[in-house]
Amino acid sequence: MERITRELELYTIPSYSSWFSWINIHEVERFSLREFFDGSSITRTPRIYKEYRDFIITKYREDPSRKLSFTEVRKSLVGDISVLHKVFTFLVKWGLINFNVSGSDDGGNSGEGGSGTTSFEGKEEGEGEWKGRVKVEEGAPHGVRVVAAPNSMKPLVPPPPPPSVGGDGGGVVGEVGESGFKWPPLASYSDVYGELMLQEETNKGGVVCGNCKENCDSKQYEYTKEESFILCEKCFESGNYEKEKSADDFKLKDTLNQAVDWTEAETLLLLESILKQHGDDWDLVSKNVQTKSKLECISKLMQLPFGDLMLGAGLRNGGLLDIIGDGKQAAVPSNESLESAKAEEPSSEVQNKDQQNGDAKCEGPPRKRVCTGPTSDAGNYMMKQVTRISTMLDPHITASAADAAVTSLCYENQCSRELFDDNDGNYFDSIASPEASNPERDADGDADNAVGDKSPNPSEIVGISSVKNIIPLNLKTRAATATSLGVAAANAKMLADKEEKEIGNLVAIMIETQLKKLQDKVKHFEDLELIMESENAQLEEAEQSLIMERLDVLQRAFDAGIPRSKVA
Amino acid sequence: MKSHSPWSTARNPVKFRIPTADNLVPIRLDIEIEGQKFRDAFIWNPSDPDSEVVVFAKRTVKDLKLPPAFVTQIAQSIQTQLTEFRSYEGQDMYTGEKVVPIKLDLRVNSTLIKDHFLWDLNNFESNPEEFAKTFCKDMGIEDPEVGPAIAIAIREQLYEIAVQNVTSARESRINKKGRRGLEHSQTSKNSGNAADLFKLFGSKSSVVRKRKEWDVYEPMIDLLSNEEVDALKAKEERNAR
Repeated sequence: MERITRELELYTIPSYSSWFSWINIHEVERFSLREFFDGSSITRTPRIYKEYRDFIITKYREDPSRKLSFTEVRKSLVGDISVLHKVFTFLVKWGLINFNVSGSDDGGNSGEGGSGTTSFEGKEEGEGEWKGRVKVEEGAPHGVRVVAAPNSMKPLVPPPPPPSVGGDGGGVVGEVGESGFKWPPLASYSDVYGELMLQEETNKGGVVCGNCKENCDSKQYEYTKEESFILCEKCFESGNYEKEKSADDFKLKDTLNQAVDWTEAETLLLLESILKQHGDDWDLVSKNVQTKSKLECISKLMQLPFGDLMLGAGLRNGGLLDIIGDGKQAAVPSNESLESAKAEEPSSEVQNKDQQNGDAKCEGPPRKRVCTGPTSDAGNYMMKQVTRISTMLDPHITASAADAAVTSLCYENQCSRELFDDNDGNYFDSIASPEASNPERDADGDADNAVGDKSPNPSEIVGISSVKNIIPLNLKTRAATATSLGVAAANAKMLADKEEKEIGNLVAIMIETQLKKLQDKVKHFEDLELIMESENAQLEEAEQSLIMERLDVLQRAFDAGIPRSKVA
Repeated sequence: MKSHSPWSTARNPVKFRIPTADNLVPIRLDIEIEGQKFRDAFIWNPSDPDSEVVVFAKRTVKDLKLPPAFVTQIAQSIQTQLTEFRSYEGQDMYTGEKVVPIKLDLRVNSTLIKDHFLWDLNNFESNPEEFAKTFCKDMGIEDPEVGPAIAIAIREQLYEIAVQNVTSARESRINKKGRRGLEHSQTSKNSGNAADLFKLFGSKSSVVRKRKEWDVYEPMIDLLSNEEVDALKAKEERNAR
């Protein structure tokens, strides 16, 4: 009976431990616990290892439902306790013991050296004797590091930087925020982390000079030998640094980030000039955007979501860039101020439409290229997405999508289509871009075509804009969204149609090929038949001749008078 | 098996250090000024500059709001212990094949701990703190001060044993044999253990202990009530006097 129950007991071990066998010692064990196998001590031999291992596993399997603790086994084994622990953790790691047993380790063990801040409860068994069966509370608070007062912690093992660094930045120990304790920062803490905290504070406000502790303006001098030491311009020039450092050791570090306040107008200028010059001649570009230097132009362009594309694609294929750029310009929303910008884009669009219609075919592959980049940056700005999607297609399609969207929106909101129509009408007259009439907001304002030299009728535009202001804000937004969605849908449909056609084509080809195969086979068989037939004929002939010969022989035999029985 | 004799594989002497993964020194403070007692124990990194000692003393006094007279005392005490440690530092110690028994017998606040286990002196990657952590976890000890106390106790014992292995100390001990009878017996005990290695780890015996011995090597934890704590404290003080 006992034997039967033992046979039926199954012990679960994870599949990655299937190498384990009672009889042998596997490579994994040899590798992980090599101190047993290198003959470095008579206290560690393979035999000893096997005994440890077998004992521990057997002990665990005496009651697989409870979590075996190290202390339970170490009392029964002779040997260095650290080595025993190593074997034990090895077995736990490979799931050979304590696999999936409840009361698994809590995450709240803060793991600082020996501070023992495990905040869990133990259950006593029997008469209060600790049997090492621990019920660990799962929700051990992470942030609780009880800084037990007078008696020691290890002062020299620094606690991991409290989460407040980089967060609050106040001179407060991190636990405050999390656990609500109000421990004032220990002197030791502020000693060690004072600089760090200070740095964090100043990092928000800009860089602080190492000397005069003021914010460095634009230029800083970084001390090459020691990274964190930075002087502001003034200090450097006044020679106001410590004596050990000489002027040569300082490196000029220009902080580009501070000068990058690109207004929408500048961005627009930048884009325009790039398109005109295809991004090859940065001098011209920077001249156009008067206030920014060459480098800044380039870096700003990089930052823009489609910047890379423009840089790369433009260089590769000027025509392509035209399409994308113009398409973008066409769809590009004007910004909130609803200025001559609107007139701007449509006019350019008119000029380029012919090109575009001609080049519509090229849009296939390039569109795909455009797709890969931007979609990753869906994060912040939905409007950016809107822009991108709208630019993917012909303005015609975008236009109709916008139209449809606006119509349905207006239907929904029961506001007069004419509101939109007015602007539409005007625009359709002079300029043919209806989505310009939808003041899509571009969150990064990157397609502000604010260059004045293209606007035809400023006054007319102004009139229109005033009318437009009536349209409530969120309506505009919704219209914008709807447009983009419509555009996206149209795009998708087109792609889908194309795909279908492709599929149809391919299927046809397949069928043809199959047919051809069949035909060939049939032909083959026919040939075979022919051959067979001819052979058949030959065989019959042969048969005939044989019969004739036999007859002949028989005849002669009879003639010769041989009795019949002997011949046949 | 004979070829595995511990003496023949005794390594070349190693420079003195605490035989753990981090060479950290256990420091104990027990200072009394004007009736105010300050007892503490912690681990110190001997490679820190000595200026840190004073800084630490000042910080401790400030955090615990002790009278400033403590500063110098604390600093001095730490410094003395450090110097003692450093005096051993340049010298060689022979570790041989030493698996020594470590005994724990300490009281931390209201927890009484008794334990007994083996520790390999040659294992320079041993980590008393990790052991203490596992110990507290397995035994379900909630008091966070217990862990470090255990680690410190282990370190102190290791420190002592390491000191005993240092050549010069050995010589001086031999000279002072008359006075230091106690330590002498300890050395013999330790080397006795080394010889025991044969018995323990040789091919004829099993490394699994006999059941009757399990109790000896099992940790025993006692949670005391307040009165018991006070009683014990009083007894300790009497012993100290």
